[in-house]
Amino acid sequence: MANATIAIGGIVGVVLAVPIVGSLLPPKNASAGSWAPLSAQELEALQKATDKPVKLTFTLKFQDAYLPEQSADEYVWGIKVDPAKFQAARPDVFNQPGGKPNVPYDVVNMGFVVFSPICPHLGCYYNWSDSQNRFMCPCHGSQYTFDGTHVAGPAPRGLDPLPLREQSGNAEVTWIVYQSNTPQRIVVSYQA
Amino acid sequence: MLNWIEERTGFVSMTKDFLTEDVPGGARYWYVFGSATLFMMIVQIVTGIFLTFFYAPSAATAWESTRAIYLNPYTHFLLALHYWGASAMIALVFLHLLQVLVWGAYKSPRELQWVVGVLLLLVTLVLGLTGYLLPWDMDAYFASQVSLNIVGLAPGLGPIMQHIAQGGGAMGTATINRFFGLHVWLMPAVLVLLVGAHLAIFRHNGSAGPVVEDPRTLRPGRFWPDQFFMDGAFSFIAFIIICFLAMAFPPYLDAKADPTKFFVPYPAWYFLSLFGLLALVPPEIHLGPLTISMELIATIIVPTLFLLVVLFIPWLDRSRTRSFAGRARLLWGTLLMVAAIVTLTIYGQVTTMIKQGSAPPSPPESVVLSAEAATLPPGGSPQAAGSGAAATGSTTNVSGAKVFSSNCASCHGAQGQGLPGTFPPLANNPVVAGDPKKVIGIVLNGLHGAISVNGQTYNGQMPAWKVTLSNKDIADVITYIRGSLGNNHASPVNESQVAGYKL
Repeated sequence: MANATIAIGGIVGVVLAVPIVGSLLPPKNASAGSWAPLSAQELEALQKATDKPVKLTFTLKFQDAYLPEQSADEYVWGIKVDPAKFQAARPDVFNQPGGKPNVPYDVVNMGFVVFSPICPHLGCYYNWSDSQNRFMCPCHGSQYTFDGTHVAGPAPRGLDPLPLREQSGNAEVTWIVYQSNTPQRIVVSYQA
Repeated sequence: MLNWIEERTGFVSMTKDFLTEDVPGGARYWYVFGSATLFMMIVQIVTGIFLTFFYAPSAATAWESTRAIYLNPYTHFLLALHYWGASAMIALVFLHLLQVLVWGAYKSPRELQWVVGVLLLLVTLVLGLTGYLLPWDMDAYFASQVSLNIVGLAPGLGPIMQHIAQGGGAMGTATINRFFGLHVWLMPAVLVLLVGAHLAIFRHNGSAGPVVEDPRTLRPGRFWPDQFFMDGAFSFIAFIIICFLAMAFPPYLDAKADPTKFFVPYPAWYFLSLFGLLALVPPEIHLGPLTISMELIATIIVPTLFLLVVLFIPWLDRSRTRSFAGRARLLWGTLLMVAAIVTLTIYGQVTTMIKQGSAPPSPPESVVLSAEAATLPPGGSPQAAGSGAAATGSTTNVSGAKVFSSNCASCHGAQGQGLPGTFPPLANNPVVAGDPKKVIGIVLNGLHGAISVNGQTYNGQMPAWKVTLSNKDIADVITYIRGSLGNNHASPVNESQVAGYKL
């Protein structure tokens, strides 16, 4: 009798626990992300630039839980590169067999690379310093060269390149947030 | 291990004390209703707590977050379980109360246990009422509006109580916030305290036991594990039933609340008898110079008197005997009351269904839950965005939109979409956007008989507005319907044109 009662309680507990735990677990398939067009003027500036990065702004559309879709101004850092030189300079990205990048997209497109503006250390927004000729993070002093190589400070990896593509004469970017403070690039969220 | 805990806390002996209780005459399945109600309360607390992880109380988020709850299968099941658990809890409270009433278990010394029990029933009903509003869909809005208006009918303090309950002069974000606070904090806290009192009094007096001449002859049975098993088995069956109902018949989410639309609310089944009573009586009767508000009697006075009678039953039936024969009058009265409540419930159900038949139908849930629904403004259709934008464009249109929503929208629809067969649409209607003189004439003098718009026939009654609306109101509203509804872009109408038509 006592055991039967306890069994009943156990069944009720399990039936309640399944939807509760299920509702709290993160969803398995994060959305694949979409493309946001970059400003044409700034892209033109990037085409002319040589040894300085260019801030490329775009409108980031995002969904905050159940709220209607919202948008915010966001930017990425763009640099003009020679693909072979860039590949040689960034072994932390091109570390897969055959010199493939460790991110599931082509890193160099249209002769450009775009970096996430988020410092891989702890998620601050870093700046470009003309005088130092480096990307400098104001939070904990991580420093990166023009091509995103980590050269000083506590960051565990170089700057994170984001997907870029050409679409009818314009450039589009996908916003990805990577896990901070890990040597690997682990996707936290796809948005755009 | 248990000894170690026992020595330091006394929890083990406390649990043993809690589970050791004499059941006079032995354990019986007749005693399960109270425990099953308690079990259902725990299910409601558990599912309710986790639903608050996903729900946000404000006019901008209540419906949106509820929709997200519907879209996730896990949270949808929790919500459906909470929905059916509420019904089950109320049904079990009623069964428990009825059984105690029939068995005469409320008699001395258990009067206060009965009083606390009736208060528990009230708190449970308030929980049902406040929870009904939270999804903030059409039904939630309009059903809660009825109950809030009933509060406002109460003589004396009614209007101020309505104002406090809805957090202002009209329903809105403040109402959701207050109902949320009531539903998830105040009422559950009161409920748990009262349940504690109910159980403490129960343990103080012991179980009433079966109806026998001399209770001292009954041999005591065990609460744990005998009665506990029976309580658990019955609760388990009730749990399986609500799980089945939650999966087979989950609740329906209607479009987001839109006060400008016409909607016939459907009350929760446990309030249907009150709706039936209200539908049964005329609004007021005249006795010579006296005007008696029957609405007040049906919605407040009768339920309050009924509640007072139920509350004071231990003092109305003071005989010492618990035998059925000795309490025939009370039992017949109970039977009569139950029959009346069931009849009124059926009547309330029928009248609600008839009223709903004349209203525009609700959209299928798949439409409500589809992606487009979330990105549209509260009006729910693209026209609403257009008319809203136009209405803020000029002062004429603000006033025109106001006149429209308070006088015209109830028939012609908030977006001028009309009602098939009865009221013609104003949006994309060539007559509305055509000769202004004709439109002015229809608004001033009304229109009767069948008309045809875009190949559809309509046969409603348009009243003459020249008596109730000023020339300016009429000019404004015509400008509004000609310029802002659907794809209408016709010329505005001014006050002198309306005055000129009258000559």
